[in-house]
Amino acid sequence: MTTAATDLQHTHSLLEVEDLAVEFSTYGGIVQAVRGVSFAVERGKTMAIVGESGCGKSVTVQAMMGLIPMPPGRITSGSARLNGVEILGRNIINGKDIRGSQIGMIFQDPMTSLNPTMTIGDQIAEPLQVHRGYSHKRAFAEAIELLSITKIPEAAKRARQYPFEFSGGMLQRAMIAMAIACKPSILIADEPTTALDVTIQAQILDLLQDLQKETGMAIILITHDLGVVARMADDVAVMYAGKVVEHGGVDDIFYRSAHPYTLGLKLAMPTNDPSKQHKLNPIQGSPPDLFAPPIGCGYCPRCPYSMKICDVKDPDILPVEEMHESRCWLQHPQAITVPDELYCGEKA
Amino acid sequence: MMWFIGKRLVQGLITVWFIATATFFAMHNVPGDPLLNDRATTAIIRANLEAKYGLDKPVSTQYFIYLNNIAHGDFGISFAQENREVNDIIREHFPVSAILGILAVVIAAVGGILWGSLTALYRNRLPDYIIMFLVILGISVPSFVVAALSQLGIVTINSLLGRTFLPVAGWGTISHMLVPALVLGLTTMAYLTRLMRSSMLEIVNSDFVRTAKSKGVPPARIFARHQLRNAVLPVITVLGPSIAAITTGGFVVEIVFAIPGLGRFFVEAVQQLDYTVIMGTTVFYGAFLVFMVILVDVIYGFIDPRVRMN
Repeated sequence: MTTAATDLQHTHSLLEVEDLAVEFSTYGGIVQAVRGVSFAVERGKTMAIVGESGCGKSVTVQAMMGLIPMPPGRITSGSARLNGVEILGRNIINGKDIRGSQIGMIFQDPMTSLNPTMTIGDQIAEPLQVHRGYSHKRAFAEAIELLSITKIPEAAKRARQYPFEFSGGMLQRAMIAMAIACKPSILIADEPTTALDVTIQAQILDLLQDLQKETGMAIILITHDLGVVARMADDVAVMYAGKVVEHGGVDDIFYRSAHPYTLGLKLAMPTNDPSKQHKLNPIQGSPPDLFAPPIGCGYCPRCPYSMKICDVKDPDILPVEEMHESRCWLQHPQAITVPDELYCGEKA
Repeated sequence: MMWFIGKRLVQGLITVWFIATATFFAMHNVPGDPLLNDRATTAIIRANLEAKYGLDKPVSTQYFIYLNNIAHGDFGISFAQENREVNDIIREHFPVSAILGILAVVIAAVGGILWGSLTALYRNRLPDYIIMFLVILGISVPSFVVAALSQLGIVTINSLLGRTFLPVAGWGTISHMLVPALVLGLTTMAYLTRLMRSSMLEIVNSDFVRTAKSKGVPPARIFARHQLRNAVLPVITVLGPSIAAITTGGFVVEIVFAIPGLGRFFVEAVQQLDYTVIMGTTVFYGAFLVFMVILVDVIYGFIDPRVRMN
């Protein structure tokens, strides 16, 4: 283990998630949606969780927030510590004023994520009433203030309107206002721009960055859009088949990719740079069936560099260099031939 | 909102006009007429009587006279009962039916919303199974059976207690109203329970409830402020037709419990071919129902802002 990784265990990050595993009982059997995810979020930094649909990125944060329905969902192992204090488990996260107070959350589809029969202002005021014990009047006044912080014009008038009178982008702003009402130390954004059109996406991302600068809150950004990651993230965790396969700084992930899946994602990214014109290379095949997760590496059947060991034994997450880890046998000190395009730190 | 109510009222008026017209022409096409009874009349007497009552005039003229009278609130005189105006019958007996009906609707709505929410929150657990079993029973057993059984129940309770705990039949006090209203509202309550259950189940898993949870709102507050109001919308939508079902179904219960309501006159008038009473009560019932549906729409508008604004 590198010194940096050892240090991590001694100094508290803002949020430390360790070995989180979540499964769902369904008619077809048990789906192991999240299979041991660990990551840390630093104060004031943006941590992006990237991966394709069904890789468990949303389930990870929703399990942490106590938002997955139980049953059928079940957290089988792991811990999540906020400032060193365990928050995992339904009663804990409810009982200690963590949800909506210390951790705010926004969701993918703002159109359906707001109560259609309650005014926007009332919905933003609600966390203040619940966590701070504000009167309705005081909370509503603060809600108007929050709406203007999130750059909604005519905030006082808008606060009295209902969600159906707002556009999608405005609703997402209102969601953000709601999530930051109690000045949380972490904002979880679960695909915040997926349901919005491109120009609005940029505005929402700008808003999130501005708010982060002003309040110093950390952001966990869940997305499948590498463009969003490049723009927003400080740290990145790439998830595949319920596990983190690569973890590192944003430059590490983009310029020093140390996992074949990350490489595959990069090759599959369209570019508008004429000098780099290349054919889009999709990753062949499909992710493994999480009803019966593979014994070996989940990416092995799709991996162009797969070796014999990949099929029978899942690698640990291996250090590449400081603060950069990859779950790939090619990072193992005994790996013999390593392809040039895969970054292996100083070992290669 | 005023514009919304005004528009609804105009629509309601047109509906009532339709009902009146349909009733008029339907009654004209029913075989037999009020002058045709056992005491044979000669052709001359018959012609004289027809002239006196305006029955010799063309149908279109009769129709306009009829519309004109209705517009003035005059439904005419009963043919079968001596010296009684249809208006008197309605005035005396409608309040009884209305109280019974409204009580039944309130019981049905409150019960349906309550039981429906309960089954949804206890989904696939014992309370859900028990209530849903009772719901099937409530929907499938006809009201006259339930009425008779409940009377039997009342008699048993009274004889066990040795005094009149609840009256078996009749009308007058609140204790007279409770059981008939419950029996009358039972089928609707069962139906609304089912509706509320499915609507609540949908809401429980909706995105905005998840948002409320993520804000750290306690479950009781989520239920009251986020789930209930949204889940109740479909229930309110069918409340209008439910009121129709309850008021028209009322006569069975009125007969079993010997309640002097309008429903009984309505049915008896049909049997006796009492033209004016049939037409009068039909139009009146129609107008009442249309009004109730409008009322429900207005309530809906208050609960759902999306309706109010359009």
